[in-house]
Amino acid sequence: MIELKNIFKWYKVGGNRTFVLKDINLRIAAGEFVSIMGPSGSGKSTLLHILGLLDEPDEGEYIFLDENVLGLKEKQRSALYKQHIGFVFQAYHLIDELTVYENIETPLIYKNFKSGERKAIVAEMLDRFGIVGKKDLFPTQLSGGQQQLVGIARALAIKPRLLLADEPTGNLNSKQGESIMELFKQLNEEDGVTIIQVTHSEKNAEYGNRIIELLDGQLVS
Amino acid sequence: MIKTYFKIAWRNLAKNKKSAIINVAGLALGMAVFILIALWVWDELSFDKYHKNYDDIGQVVQTQTWNGKEESGVAVPFPLGEELRTNYGDQFKYVVMASWEGERVLSYGDKNLSQNGIYIDTDGPAMLTLDILKGSIDGLTDPNSIMLSASTAKAFFGDQDPINQLMKINQQLPVKVTAVYADLPSNTTFANIKFMAPWALYITSESWISYAKTEWGNNSFQAFAQINDHTDFATVSRNIADAKLNRVSDDAKKFNAQLTLHPMRDWHLRNKWENGQVVGGLIEYVNLFSIIGVFVLLLACINFMNLSTARSEKRAKEVGIRKTVGSPRQQLIAQFLSESVLVACIAFLFAVLLAAVLLPWFNQVAGKKLEILWTNGWFWGIGFLFSLLTGLLAGSYPAFYLSSFNPLTVLKGTFRIGRLAGLPRKILVVVQFSVSVALIIGTIVVFRQIRYTKDRPVGYDRDRLMMVEMKTSDFYGKFDVLRTQLKEKGAVEELSESSSPLTAVWSNQGGITWPGKDPALQTDFASIWVTHEFGETVDWQIREGRDFSREFGTDSTAVILNEAAVKFMGVQHPVGTTLTWNNKDYHIVGVVSDLIMDSPFRPVKQTIYFMNYEMVNWINLKLNTQKSTQECIALIEEVFSDVIPNAPFEYQFADDEYAAKFAQEERVGKLATFFAGLAIVISCLGIFGLASFVAEQRTKEIGIRKVVGASIFQLWRLLSTNFVILVLISCFVASPIAYYFLDNWLQNYEYRSTIPWWAFAAAIGGALLITMIIVSLQTVRAARINPVESLRDE
Repeated sequence: MIELKNIFKWYKVGGNRTFVLKDINLRIAAGEFVSIMGPSGSGKSTLLHILGLLDEPDEGEYIFLDENVLGLKEKQRSALYKQHIGFVFQAYHLIDELTVYENIETPLIYKNFKSGERKAIVAEMLDRFGIVGKKDLFPTQLSGGQQQLVGIARALAIKPRLLLADEPTGNLNSKQGESIMELFKQLNEEDGVTIIQVTHSEKNAEYGNRIIELLDGQLVS
Repeated sequence: MIKTYFKIAWRNLAKNKKSAIINVAGLALGMAVFILIALWVWDELSFDKYHKNYDDIGQVVQTQTWNGKEESGVAVPFPLGEELRTNYGDQFKYVVMASWEGERVLSYGDKNLSQNGIYIDTDGPAMLTLDILKGSIDGLTDPNSIMLSASTAKAFFGDQDPINQLMKINQQLPVKVTAVYADLPSNTTFANIKFMAPWALYITSESWISYAKTEWGNNSFQAFAQINDHTDFATVSRNIADAKLNRVSDDAKKFNAQLTLHPMRDWHLRNKWENGQVVGGLIEYVNLFSIIGVFVLLLACINFMNLSTARSEKRAKEVGIRKTVGSPRQQLIAQFLSESVLVACIAFLFAVLLAAVLLPWFNQVAGKKLEILWTNGWFWGIGFLFSLLTGLLAGSYPAFYLSSFNPLTVLKGTFRIGRLAGLPRKILVVVQFSVSVALIIGTIVVFRQIRYTKDRPVGYDRDRLMMVEMKTSDFYGKFDVLRTQLKEKGAVEELSESSSPLTAVWSNQGGITWPGKDPALQTDFASIWVTHEFGETVDWQIREGRDFSREFGTDSTAVILNEAAVKFMGVQHPVGTTLTWNNKDYHIVGVVSDLIMDSPFRPVKQTIYFMNYEMVNWINLKLNTQKSTQECIALIEEVFSDVIPNAPFEYQFADDEYAAKFAQEERVGKLATFFAGLAIVISCLGIFGLASFVAEQRTKEIGIRKVVGASIFQLWRLLSTNFVILVLISCFVASPIAYYFLDNWLQNYEYRSTIPWWAFAAAIGGALLITMIIVSLQTVRAARINPVESLRDE
């Protein structure tokens, strides 16, 4: 599903290149649940952003669903992204001005779903994550765990084939974190969603079926 | 400490060059306009203050009733002066009679110059407190004397002493120079008067004036007066109201002449009369522009504050860091305030420069000679005080609001400016755009009115039509010689004489009757005396009957009417009808289309063209179309200096004089354009401020929306819709207001265009277009930011 070949990413500071990612080669098959680990500044988030098409490497090749995405035009790439990728953040990143219901609905609007279809999908998501009773509340009225559930529901509304999560439990207490991880495992096993998560916690990493370690922008293995 | 503040302030400005430039430029523009308007208003309000008796001088205004309508004017009869002096003398310090000011030829030796001057009573110079440079303020006591302005004296005598030199007025009146006075400044009513000659001399100069001595019905003079201490204009006006009415014949009582003393302080600013009352004048524009000036400045200041505060969220982090390293709150406040004061002062300096650059253009548009008060301490003092105030106000929000925050919340990034902070900005944008839209509509309507009136058929051919005023008696009796020679040389196609120039009507007559006239109708005709070829010269259009002709010996009593006169008289067959005036009969030989000789904004008045070679003052020449204008002028000058050597050859062109009638309207049009342009710039800054504020505020939301799949176009639409709604609200506010004011303005003109629907459409379309461009610049930029940047968790 995913193949990275010789990926480099750097910043220019003064005249020198500071490498964030150095010669990354990686294959991830559909249906995998991968955890990326490593200390702060090792390039985990940057790798995740490149995988999620939010960022571009300075060098290398990225094949996603048999397409060389770096050769695609902006429009095609964003279509690919809209169709297949969902994102979950550490800080949830819900829109404060919208209700739970509207937050989950937003990506569907951008995918041009009709209002009837949107209603059905949002209802299904609310039901599945047990937040039907919260649908008219605003994000600030929810606990952190509940907000992250909404964030995941929003990511899954478009039925993505790839779910990317950047420290999804980083702002949660351990109990909430556990339940989110259980949910991920269930999504991966029952729905076949490919998941890549960045995490600091060994325990959370164990939920996945493969762990990738990064150190100073290079893969350790 | 202060030095550090300014150093850091300067670094901050240098770091955000673009926003600093926009901010400084916006404020400077507003201030510059305010400076220009303030100079103009100051100049208008100080008009005539040069005269030390400013508060006590007045001019007699007469209101008479014609066909039920009250008409006011400054023309009064000759005997009024003596009447006021003898029977109302306790009210006045001075009563001064004067002629109209006009161009007269002055000669010294063989030097002839045409100069604008006035004949005035002996007390005139003292009343006007002329600044005498040489000679005596009583210079007009001797009836054969003249007082010259410094510039005229210099033109004639150079460095030689002018006093006691002998000169001539109009080649016939010998006078001796008795005084030289400093030229009157341009913002006085008498600014253009270059010489003053005695009233006593005026009386003897022409026979009709000496006849007028006892005529209460001949309103051909001006009367000025200075009131006594311990009285006021209202009292004096009440007392003299019937001074004329008491003396006129019973027959003339029906005109109900009422006199008022119009104070000097109102001459320039409040001189529009309706029904015997002052109803306004230039003061309306002074008030309007004052309001606009204050408004512009206010909007610019508010914009300045907006743009400053839009960036304050970015500064929140700086505040947090400063606080954690122990900076006391007062220091933070001082830092923010010194920054905005610095910007305001820079803006003020730029404003002064900008005003200086714009001033020549502004002077030209406004017809003024304004100057920046470079050396006036008050000007700089007030300017900097004002900048300080603006700076303090603009800086107060970030200074007091941000510095009050808990450093931890600010540093964590959870600090946000409240949602409601956008509301005042929205109101501001609506107000600014309302003003812009209204001014755009106004500009369109003003120019359309000018265009419409300019396109009005004038009834004759203005092209290459030259007019020469016969200023001295040297011209008399030379017409035939001139005509023969000019035609022989091929300089002109035709020439003729007339009593008024083609672009004015100098005489109106009443008391004309004809068979079948309604006895209740008070007749009032514009009257022009012309010579045979007048029609051919100006190419008027005969509608009925025929033109004057040398072939009919009886044409010395022939008249031609314009169509308005036929309508006024209500006769079916005008040609052949006989008019009676002053016991003399005139037969109508023809009717011509209306010629616009007076205001192009009013209907043409009923006019009678008499045939006469005595009553004429102007020579009209139609230049030869086969030759260039330059060639013709050279030939004409040659002939004139040959035939009439003692008169300077001075001419005007009918189309120039006609164009000058639009000066006032074009001035309004240019100023409206200027203000509209300005309003647009300021509105743009306002909407730019709001757009950048909103973009700043919604950065995170935009990032999230992008992550969940929004395209740039969708984000642009989301962000722009609100602005379009605001601008549309402005259009709905502005349109009826603009319609109301413009409809009122157009009522000033009897010949007027309509307010077209497309003016509104164009203004609204323009406003929307500008909004879309500016908003798009901001929103597209915000929408293009990589969400990775805006959603960083650290």
